[in-house]
Amino acid sequence: MARRGTSSSFPGVCGCCGALRPRYKRLVDNIFPEDSEDGLVKSNMEKLTFYALSAPEKLDRIGAYLSERLSRDVARHRYGYVCIAMEALDQLLMACHCQSINLFVESFLKMVAKLVESEKPDLQILGTNSFVKFANIEEDTPSYHRSYDFFVSRFSEMCHNNDDDLDIRNKIRMAGIKGLQGVVRKTVNDELQANIWDPQHMDKIVPSLLYNLQYAEEAESRSPSPLQATEKEKESPAELAERCLRELLGRAAYGNIKNAIKPVLMHLDNHKLWEPQIFAIRCFKIIMYSIQPQHSHLVIQQLLGHLDANSKSAATVRAGIVEVLSEAAVIAASGSVGPTVLEVFNTLLRQLRLSIDYELTGSYDSAMNIGTKIIKEHEERMFQEAVIKTIGSFASTLPTYQRSEVMLFIMSKVPLPSLQHAIEMGKTGVNRTRLIQIMLLKSLLQVSIGFQCNNLLSALPSSFLDPLLCVSLMEDGEIRLFVLEILISLMDRHGNRHKFSTISTISDISVLKLKVDKCSRQDTLFMKKHSQQLYRHIYLSCNERTNIHPHYEAIYGMLAMISIELANEEVVVDLIRLVLAVQELALTNEDNLPVYNRCALYAISAAYLNVISQLTTVPAFCQHVHEVIEARQKQAPYLLPEDVFLEKPRLPKSVDHLEREVLFLQSKISEVLGGSGYNSDRLSTPYIPQLTDEDRLSKRKSIGDTISLQVEVESRNSPEKEEKAPAEEITFETLKKAIVDNVAVEEQERERRRQVVEKFQKAPFEEIAAHCGARATLLQSKLNQIFDITIRPPPSPSGTITAAYGQPQHHSIPVYEMKFPDLCVY
Amino acid sequence: MEDYDFLFKIVLIGNAGVGKTCLVRRFTQGLFPPGQGATIGVDFMIKTVEIKGEKIKLQIWDTAGQERFRSITQSYYRSANALILTYDISCEESFRCLPEWLKEIEQYASHQVVTVLVGNKIDLAQNREVSQQRAQEFAEAHNMFYLETSAKESDNVEKLFLDLACRLISEARQNALVNNEASPLPGEGTTISYLNCCNLN
Ligand SMILES: Nc1nc2c(ncn2[C@@H]2O[C@H](COP(=O)(O)OP(=O)(O)OP(=O)(O)O)[C@@H](O)[C@H]2O)c(=O)[nH]1
Ligand SMILES: [Mg+2]
Repeated sequence: MARRGTSSSFPGVCGCCGALRPRYKRLVDNIFPEDSEDGLVKSNMEKLTFYALSAPEKLDRIGAYLSERLSRDVARHRYGYVCIAMEALDQLLMACHCQSINLFVESFLKMVAKLVESEKPDLQILGTNSFVKFANIEEDTPSYHRSYDFFVSRFSEMCHNNDDDLDIRNKIRMAGIKGLQGVVRKTVNDELQANIWDPQHMDKIVPSLLYNLQYAEEAESRSPSPLQATEKEKESPAELAERCLRELLGRAAYGNIKNAIKPVLMHLDNHKLWEPQIFAIRCFKIIMYSIQPQHSHLVIQQLLGHLDANSKSAATVRAGIVEVLSEAAVIAASGSVGPTVLEVFNTLLRQLRLSIDYELTGSYDSAMNIGTKIIKEHEERMFQEAVIKTIGSFASTLPTYQRSEVMLFIMSKVPLPSLQHAIEMGKTGVNRTRLIQIMLLKSLLQVSIGFQCNNLLSALPSSFLDPLLCVSLMEDGEIRLFVLEILISLMDRHGNRHKFSTISTISDISVLKLKVDKCSRQDTLFMKKHSQQLYRHIYLSCNERTNIHPHYEAIYGMLAMISIELANEEVVVDLIRLVLAVQELALTNEDNLPVYNRCALYAISAAYLNVISQLTTVPAFCQHVHEVIEARQKQAPYLLPEDVFLEKPRLPKSVDHLEREVLFLQSKISEVLGGSGYNSDRLSTPYIPQLTDEDRLSKRKSIGDTISLQVEVESRNSPEKEEKAPAEEITFETLKKAIVDNVAVEEQERERRRQVVEKFQKAPFEEIAAHCGARATLLQSKLNQIFDITIRPPPSPSGTITAAYGQPQHHSIPVYEMKFPDLCVY
Repeated sequence: MEDYDFLFKIVLIGNAGVGKTCLVRRFTQGLFPPGQGATIGVDFMIKTVEIKGEKIKLQIWDTAGQERFRSITQSYYRSANALILTYDISCEESFRCLPEWLKEIEQYASHQVVTVLVGNKIDLAQNREVSQQRAQEFAEAHNMFYLETSAKESDNVEKLFLDLACRLISEARQNALVNNEASPLPGEGTTISYLNCCNLN
């Protein structure tokens, strides 16, 4: 029985050979010199080539014979002859016409296989080189039954070579990589051949390349930038592997992406390469830059799928995947999300929720197995941060309209107390709700950062603002702050926000170099529609005793942002009125606020009036503000931000009994603004926050009567309109349409309603009586004008929006009830 | 013109350090390598043997036992004609992992695959942790052949591969009969496609 070495493979002559050596054999024999050192006999090689070309039908025999000789020489360790045979084969291959190659290839591949399966590195490399040459020949006739199985297996194995000699190891590995590259090139475009994209091949090729790529990470001592390594520099397996990977991915068609990416995920899993994410990120950068851009969303989807599959893996692993997603999203840019915008965000939000649950319950499965894996709270936190960051990355790739839809979507997931959402009770329930609220608002904040939204009106519909501004999100200090920050970052479209990050009373705001554009028509409409909500939110936020320094900064920032981004004359007057009310809040102190809070309110009033007076450039206004500030500096520095917003605020025992000159006076401001042409009448009626729908549910009665008066007026004017808003039937689509189409009308209505409600609430009876008739006709005529210039209100359901203001209660649909049918098909 | 009548692919699997590489090298090179390092990914060896006048070429793929190479090693199961599932008789742990390996086989290997269970390192009999009987029963329960070896002392190594080769030949013949013609084995298309050269030419 055979023992060591190649056993009894007896060289040479098959039984079929006759006494006369055929011509082709003689020609082949002649190319081999007596002494293999002399190399290929060139002149005889020419003869052989000539013969092969003139008698291509003999090619298969020539190949077979050469192959036979080569096998024999390998077995006898006559490597000189092996090289000569290979050289001859290469030359024949190059010289032959495409059509005839097929006859020849089988024996050629056998020879290559013979070489690469040998144990000698030199032969492996020799064989690989020939294979690579062959791979670069473009054949035009397909071959049906070539199997590259062995080559894929063996080249992959060579990629893992672990020879003690580093030089040999690198050489073999590089040969392996080149071989794989060759197989890919050879087969990738030929549907008849072995499908290189099959998992059985991809699962070998991809990890082998990654292994070499990763190896470079480990032994990073080479050139500083592998990307810039020139051809001349000695190439490393890592560089070669990277190029090969890029080429492979670049050739992947739509249907192949999955099979190519799957092994990457597997490799990263198996080698635990998600944790220090550097390598994983690098891999996916290569992937994203190499694949055809229209496929990038497939990669994203696969990563999302992988994230879901790893729902119960350690937080660090999940965080790694999410980080990679974030990086990949940025590269894929607009294409990253692909056709399923909401699915991407849905997955991320789901993971966020899951993680919160893990954190709270301390286990991956609250029902079963207790503590099989220990949840590390801080790791879950890190994961949550990573998810939020990734949500931001994705959002930043979206066009405006999708971005606001995403915000709407996230908002719809924020748990709010309502009939639809039974908020969980009990301590953990409350805790959970709160955590989810925080995480989702953080996500929103992330999405809103850098969101240059030109049209706030369409970007921030009521369905978004209403829940965001609802009272229940105001009670918790941390949550309240997020809401303010979100609003600020949405409003700040000129990057002015940071200029107001410290609250101060600087004497000349021109040093801030504010960037201001004229308030656009949409912005004006936005304010018409939502200003009361915003004012109210600011006012109520001011009155919270749990406020700390950051809250006041945010309130101040928000006032400043509105003034810069969204203000016209009317808004300016409103804001001043609001801030005067805030001062009043501190002064009367009905809610018994602590001294710090009251001082803070005085201080932000001063800071804001300082800014707005300079923005209005009304000298007398500036003068008044300046005087009050000066007076405070002398008598009551604790009413100025410079003294209040310190690490250790310098506060008095009490802030009651303030002198008149340290206060901003409504009468004075009315006078100076009126003198400059501002319509400052309204300042004389102190600001009181408007009731929202929420409040109205409980307090409807008190204002219901007032409004019913308006309903009559309205219905007389447009009898064809329905009175009842079919709220349940309003879909997102119609709502959107309604908002876009009927903006002007709706705004006008809202505004009018607001004014009416306010007036009737606050003004003395005589005034109401006096105004009632005049006002109604005035508004009516204005309304008529608008109806004339805008389209006729459609008679069908979508038109009902226009009539909705007549309702005592403008019923907005809870966001979480809404369907988003059109989002899913973008 | 080919120098063999049959070609078989054999893949060795099993926990890290049980001696897979040593078994292969003992068989192909006739030596017991001192200080054999852990296998990276996969290793490849060729050995042609002659049984009853027929040349059988054995392509031996030696996989890494380390967990982190699982994905690359799994991809080699599929085309295997035979698997050698190895454990170390002096290491209980390597035996206890066998069910996991069987799961892998189930998942990745062809259904026709012939599996041999090998308990290696019998030269370390004084440290034996897995009894022969236990292993025998396990092998029977899972329809495997069973053998104990020592790569170090060269016990049963030759027998392991040669018996396996015989079994593969008879299996291949049977298959060829069943499917008449020389249609390929199911599972792996090209196992015995390189038949005797003189038949073809
Ligand atoms: N005493 C003894 N030691 C052995 C035997 N076979 C292998 N070893 C030793 O066991 C250790 C591991 O052997 P390897 O062949 O590298 O193990 P492996 O299964 O290939 O390990 P991986 O490549 O990591 O999967 C080495 O130190 C060998 O010297 C044997 O039959 N007897
Ligand atoms: Mg090994």
